[in-house]
Amino acid sequence: MAAPQLHDADVVPVIANGTRSDHLVLERLEKRYGDTTVVAALDLAVKQGEFIALLGPSGCGKTTTLRMTAGLVPTSAGRIVIGGQDVTHLPPYRRDIGLVFQNYALFPHMTVAQNVAFGLEMRKVPKAEATRRATEALALVRLEAYGNRKPRELSGGQQQRVALARALVIRPSLLLLDEPLSNLDAKLREEMRTEIRDIQRRLGITTVFVTHDQVEALSMCDRVAVMEGGKLVQFGTPFEIYERPRHPFIADFVGRTNKLKGTAGEPGVVALGPLTLRAGETPARGSNVLVMIRPHRIQISAKRNGRAETRANVVAGRIVRTTYVGDLFQYDVDIGPSVMQVEKPTTAGPQAFNHGDEVELEWAATDTLVFEDRG
Amino acid sequence: MTAIALTAAPDRPASAVPLALGLLLPVAIVNAVGFLAPVAYLFRMSFNEATGGGGLREGLTLASYVAFITDPFYLGLVARSIGFSVFITLLTLIVSYPIALFIHRADTKWQSLLTVITISPLLVSAVVRTYGWMLILGDQGLVNGLLKNAGLIDQPLRLINNSTGVVIGLTEILMPYMVLALMAGFGRLDRSYEEAALSLGARPWTTFRRVVVPLTAPGIALGCLLCFVLAVSSFITPKLLGGGRVFLLATEIYDQAITLLNWPLAATMSIIVLVIFGLALVLYTRIQRALD
Repeated sequence: MAAPQLHDADVVPVIANGTRSDHLVLERLEKRYGDTTVVAALDLAVKQGEFIALLGPSGCGKTTTLRMTAGLVPTSAGRIVIGGQDVTHLPPYRRDIGLVFQNYALFPHMTVAQNVAFGLEMRKVPKAEATRRATEALALVRLEAYGNRKPRELSGGQQQRVALARALVIRPSLLLLDEPLSNLDAKLREEMRTEIRDIQRRLGITTVFVTHDQVEALSMCDRVAVMEGGKLVQFGTPFEIYERPRHPFIADFVGRTNKLKGTAGEPGVVALGPLTLRAGETPARGSNVLVMIRPHRIQISAKRNGRAETRANVVAGRIVRTTYVGDLFQYDVDIGPSVMQVEKPTTAGPQAFNHGDEVELEWAATDTLVFEDRG
Repeated sequence: MTAIALTAAPDRPASAVPLALGLLLPVAIVNAVGFLAPVAYLFRMSFNEATGGGGLREGLTLASYVAFITDPFYLGLVARSIGFSVFITLLTLIVSYPIALFIHRADTKWQSLLTVITISPLLVSAVVRTYGWMLILGDQGLVNGLLKNAGLIDQPLRLINNSTGVVIGLTEILMPYMVLALMAGFGRLDRSYEEAALSLGARPWTTFRRVVVPLTAPGIALGCLLCFVLAVSSFITPKLLGGGRVFLLATEIYDQAITLLNWPLAATMSIIVLVIFGLALVLYTRIQRALD
């Protein structure tokens, strides 16, 4: 990648996580429409140069949060601080933000170059410098040859890159991305993921990325804020979100999971009908629990009799369905109280089990996620 | 149209062509009888000779055209009509644009109701609405009454029987057409363009000037063409609200044809009006092409 540096002066030196100061702070942020609360008392702090995702299903308030941060929607309560300045009541044009929309929102009556230069023009940047910086920004997204085209002459992916260049060329202190990849096809989406990630790293620009796609959130961002029903459910690294979800909603929403109902026993043990499973943390004895186990964390093997004592969970079952999905075999295994899905990558060899086979499932205690069942 | 469709789909069954022509036939007949024939008749009439006192001699003379072009009164009439219509069109645009923008941005459930309300004046004929304006704007009318009672004026303002009245009346009468045409051309206007401009540092007025207006330009062009044509050809409103003191092409054509019985000159002036429309259409097409 020989793309030129967009603006060296603004590149934030990478400091070890934790020593960087908070660049964007949302404080008890709230949005109500009449009786409906869309965003409720949201607290979020994003560090300088950090790339975070607001992840959640549609209607969870993530887009409203982004639009409040951009100043496009007034807040009902709370504060928004960008770079130490309280911007809660500032209009969007005084917030120094770069915004990329799901539908790109490139001005159809302007050329690509005019689109990119628009923000510079608004900042009264001299014409020659504006042209130079717009060209640089287009080079950054590898579209320097397209400056004279109209947006409609570009493909969706190219339009999205122009939108990114237009947002970045003004050297905003905060970059806001509103589902920027949703309108692209799967292959392009993957390319753009890497591209956006690379550019964000290179420029060190603090970025908030709204998405409903957990793969995007996990693969692109430093930290992920999972939202549901207008509330922040968990804010952590992709690893924490995936491996240590703090709420059954997250375990369910992020990645695939087996969901079983049981009761908590001794600390570290849950009962699932006649089965006893080892788990990490468990709630108080006797409480109803939801047990979640990721399908790809389960080892599957032919049933053996008499085996060494193990600290893992071992459960016997019978295959009731096999599904081939290209990169995976999915085995549905009846373990008595429930049916569990197990995934094996197809790289591990051909289909090992067939309908009716007796098998053993084995997984680590730490992969048994236990949540109090309040439903 | 048919030819274009044919090149686009060469494998279309042959029976589609007679069918398409058949479907065009009714409108073609109506247009031929109701529009082309009268225009042809007018065109022919403009070359006849007027013999004073309402007499008419069949012929092929350019006398009416020469009379028109050499008389400063008529040339002034053309200039005044065009200027007047442009002024009214711009005034109509200014008062209609916010309405159209508001309706465009309104909730879908309110849009149709608001549209119906906006175009409801069309349900009442222009004659009736013009009489309404005479009542409102007259010396004893609503406006003068209110101003007098408020102690702001002693003598009634002259709001009718002059060009002020014509401007007020025509602007109101043309507004529904302008609003409809604007809304038809607002298709490209999406809120996210404005939001993008705001996020890039453009103030609301700059956003309006640099983003909203260019995106709605097709609607503005269409509305202006429509209202200009309607203003130039409007007759009843200038006649009634102008009180015989406002001379425009349409009123003059009426006077020539009905009062002075000079049909060739009236026909000539009608052809001139058609030429003005043609020029307006050419200008409109140019603008459309430039916008695209």
